[in-house]
Amino acid sequence: MTHETVACPACDLLQQVPPLPPGGKAHCPRCDETLGSRSADPLDRPLALTVAAAIVFIIANTQSLMGLSAVGRQASTTIIGGAYEMWVQGQALTAMVVAFCVVIAPATYIAFMLTVLLAVRRPPAPRWIGELLRWADFMKPWSMSEVMMLGILVALVKIAELASVSPGIGMYAVGLLVILLPAIMVNFDPAEVWNRVEWTDGTSSTAIAE
Amino acid sequence: MPEPTGADPLPQATVEPPKRTRLSVIWIIPILAAVVAIGIAVQRILTEGPTITVVFKSAEGIEAGKTFVKYKDVTIGHVTKVELADTYGNVEVTAKISKRAGALMVEDAKFWVVEPRVTLSGISGLGTLLSGNYVGFQPGKSDKKQTRFTGLEVAPIITDQPGRRFVLKAKTLGSLGIGSPIYYRQLQAGQIEAYALAPDGKGIDITVFVATPYDKFVTPETRFWNASGIDVSVGAGGVNVRTEGLVALLAGGLAFDAPSFAAPAGPAAAGAVFTLYSDQATAMKQPEAIARVYVLRFSESVLGLSVGAPVTLLGIPAGEVTQVGLSVDPATMALHPRVLITFFPERILARVTARDQATAKVMTEGSDKVRLQLIRRIVEEQGLRGQLKSGNLLTGQLFVAFNYFPGAPKPKIDWTQDPLELPVVLSTIPDLEAKLSGILAKLDSLPLEAIGREVQDDLTSLKRTLEDTSKLLSRIDAELVDPLKTTLEETRRAIASADRMLTNTDATLVGKDAPVQQDLRDALQEMVLAARSLRVLTDYLERHPESLIRGKTQENK
Amino acid sequence: MSAAARSGAAAGLVSCETCGLLSRPAQAVHPGHCPRCGSELEWRRRDSIQRTWALLIAAAICYIPANILPVLRTNTVVSSDADTIMSGAVFLYTSGSWPLAVIVLVASVMIPLGKLVALAYLLITVQRGSVASNRDRARLYRLVEIIGRWSMLDVFVDTFTVALIQLQPLMSVEPGPGVVFFMAVVVLTMLAVESFDPRLIWDAGTSWQGRHA
Repeated sequence: MTHETVACPACDLLQQVPPLPPGGKAHCPRCDETLGSRSADPLDRPLALTVAAAIVFIIANTQSLMGLSAVGRQASTTIIGGAYEMWVQGQALTAMVVAFCVVIAPATYIAFMLTVLLAVRRPPAPRWIGELLRWADFMKPWSMSEVMMLGILVALVKIAELASVSPGIGMYAVGLLVILLPAIMVNFDPAEVWNRVEWTDGTSSTAIAE
Repeated sequence: MPEPTGADPLPQATVEPPKRTRLSVIWIIPILAAVVAIGIAVQRILTEGPTITVVFKSAEGIEAGKTFVKYKDVTIGHVTKVELADTYGNVEVTAKISKRAGALMVEDAKFWVVEPRVTLSGISGLGTLLSGNYVGFQPGKSDKKQTRFTGLEVAPIITDQPGRRFVLKAKTLGSLGIGSPIYYRQLQAGQIEAYALAPDGKGIDITVFVATPYDKFVTPETRFWNASGIDVSVGAGGVNVRTEGLVALLAGGLAFDAPSFAAPAGPAAAGAVFTLYSDQATAMKQPEAIARVYVLRFSESVLGLSVGAPVTLLGIPAGEVTQVGLSVDPATMALHPRVLITFFPERILARVTARDQATAKVMTEGSDKVRLQLIRRIVEEQGLRGQLKSGNLLTGQLFVAFNYFPGAPKPKIDWTQDPLELPVVLSTIPDLEAKLSGILAKLDSLPLEAIGREVQDDLTSLKRTLEDTSKLLSRIDAELVDPLKTTLEETRRAIASADRMLTNTDATLVGKDAPVQQDLRDALQEMVLAARSLRVLTDYLERHPESLIRGKTQENK
Repeated sequence: MSAAARSGAAAGLVSCETCGLLSRPAQAVHPGHCPRCGSELEWRRRDSIQRTWALLIAAAICYIPANILPVLRTNTVVSSDADTIMSGAVFLYTSGSWPLAVIVLVASVMIPLGKLVALAYLLITVQRGSVASNRDRARLYRLVEIIGRWSMLDVFVDTFTVALIQLQPLMSVEPGPGVVFFMAVVVLTMLAVESFDPRLIWDAGTSWQGRHA
């Protein structure tokens, strides 16, 4: 991190901004305008979001997504119930892929991120933390909770024509999850983690290569 | 990074150091999530009802996660697991019951599978064709909580409907069964709940349930009768057909009502005992307090006289036959039919006008001596006699009628005998059967075939005669005498009809549809006459052949 | 940027795909392991072009049955209808919910097709060594990477429709044979995207081109 040259948007003073410590803010010396800040809690924020995501994920998978009632009969399903029904109907491969995309992948991502974020609070973190992070990154493109959300909504509209449908707690939880997961990804700076992870050759984060 | 332009170094922005680490606002999110999660979990636990297991013989249409447990059409739980019991003979159905209904899970609560069913009381459960089978529930009265139940195979009959139960005593069950309907004025008022052999083994005790509002019509005066099937009775009164409706027809049923002579009374207490009569007529029969038994001895066959046949006095029903038997005269060893009749004077009393009621009462309620005197007077002075009469020609049913026969011979009655023997006269029942068989016998004895053959022979000879005549006539080319001509014409016609007759004879005479003999006789007579006149003519011609030419002379005419 | 653009590989530095560390390779052909995170270093994704082609062709083969075979079968007491993806979208359109029809059509028909075409285009241009419109191609890759997962939409719609509508004998829905193929198309194209190394776009025309691809 080196100095950055800027012109103050308020008073146009040409100046240099030194590297900021976490949580620090830069002000214009002349007019005191805030020029920039650095995230105070590059680890705390994603951690909080990950914890929330974990709780919401559990709710989303245990509570029913929606209930439908028609001609005196009622039915409801959870996410896993949907995959299970596909399995029972002979589509084992589809069931497995669906389960992977909306249960296993997000669960793995959340769990690993949680572990990683907790572990790097006390640097240096052991090396396998890096491995976990790699797996978490691998799971990112495969956790399709938001696609599932839209899919459920489309199914809901289709079914609402022949039965009365009511969304369940699970559906709201999935909606929340769809917001939280990208929030985690946005707030997470992998550099912060890698800086705190022990190198394979045993050196700590203080010895940084270019 | 580009170097700062210009020679002077640029001013530095001031850096505000980070404040003391404080808990970031971001933590509100997970805290909020945690609170919501705990709230959901707590709510689940609080509203969680008991989990019960019901063992069924078979769990048809019951699916885990889908089937509901319903009471009064309200869902009180749902099935979570369906699996074979350890003994493999039964199915264990595990269900989660809602908290509100949790208190209903007591010892004698009942569970059964509701599916479409056709039973004695009708068709039930059709709605389950659409909605899927469900587990029906009936609460029990016990206080003891229980979580393991045995499911019933059939829905229990009575739910907790308001009504009253009574006990009926019957000789046999007949076509009745559990669930057989009970009717009041052809409306279904209840059903049979249970039946069992009476403790003394001499009858059946039937427990019936009558629902409100019909139960208040069951008074101590009410009569119950078996209304199963069709009640067809053929008696001296004619043919009677009675039925209570289709279900009663097929499944048996009972009916009840208060007889017309019953005194108005309040509703009967629950558990009251009644007798089950075999049919409506018997049930509605007014009990007669006064019954006097008499004996009748007939000297003819009493075939057709059955027990219960009416006894009329001057045409008014006054009693009935109670016994038909045989008596032996010790002196002559002759057998005579002996009939016991019961006379109900109250029936006559009901027919007497108010003015004469007092006098009539003497007949019925007076002392034995007074009555005996009265009877004696009627029998000896006015000639009251008993007689068998035909009640129904078709069935040959007979009844006993008492009428005045002024010219009847004086009877020899032992007035001290009990029961008193009343005198009888012979019946005038035409023996229709004998007459008919007589006619048939006569018809049978007619020698139709012989007659037919005779006629045929006559006709054949006639034909030959006619043929000869035509040969004779063909020799004559002279002018024919007019009478001869006409006779010949008639003969020709006769031949033609005889020809026809001959061909028809097979069908019409000897065959099955032979026309009435009379027609045939007429035809034959005509023909015979024609033949006779022809014979006369040919005779004459033989004796006086010259008449052909000269005609009949005066002396030969 | 007027300064000459130089790729890390051309400079002899290999970047770790896991942790981003730029390090010197242990040796030229097999760079070894990342000193920071220990994962294996590679110049470019292994056999990128071959693997991407294989997966792409497999996906294209599955694309045909995915659209021909029915994905949903609706059984009612009176009838039994089978729907393919197209007929499902048409049904949505004719029954009035045309926004959904558009969504399903885009997600289930256009995106997979687009992915197949885009990846094929990228592969061909890379193999031809084309240097034109690098930026656009890079953007295309990024687009394919992001949008790709959305074609799983129809699979989820089918899954939850099947899970909910099991009201025998009145009405029940069962998945058809087309679902597996459709899912295969999505998965295979996603794997193809992951196996394609976008850095290859920029390698064309450089001295380092295709050396270790």
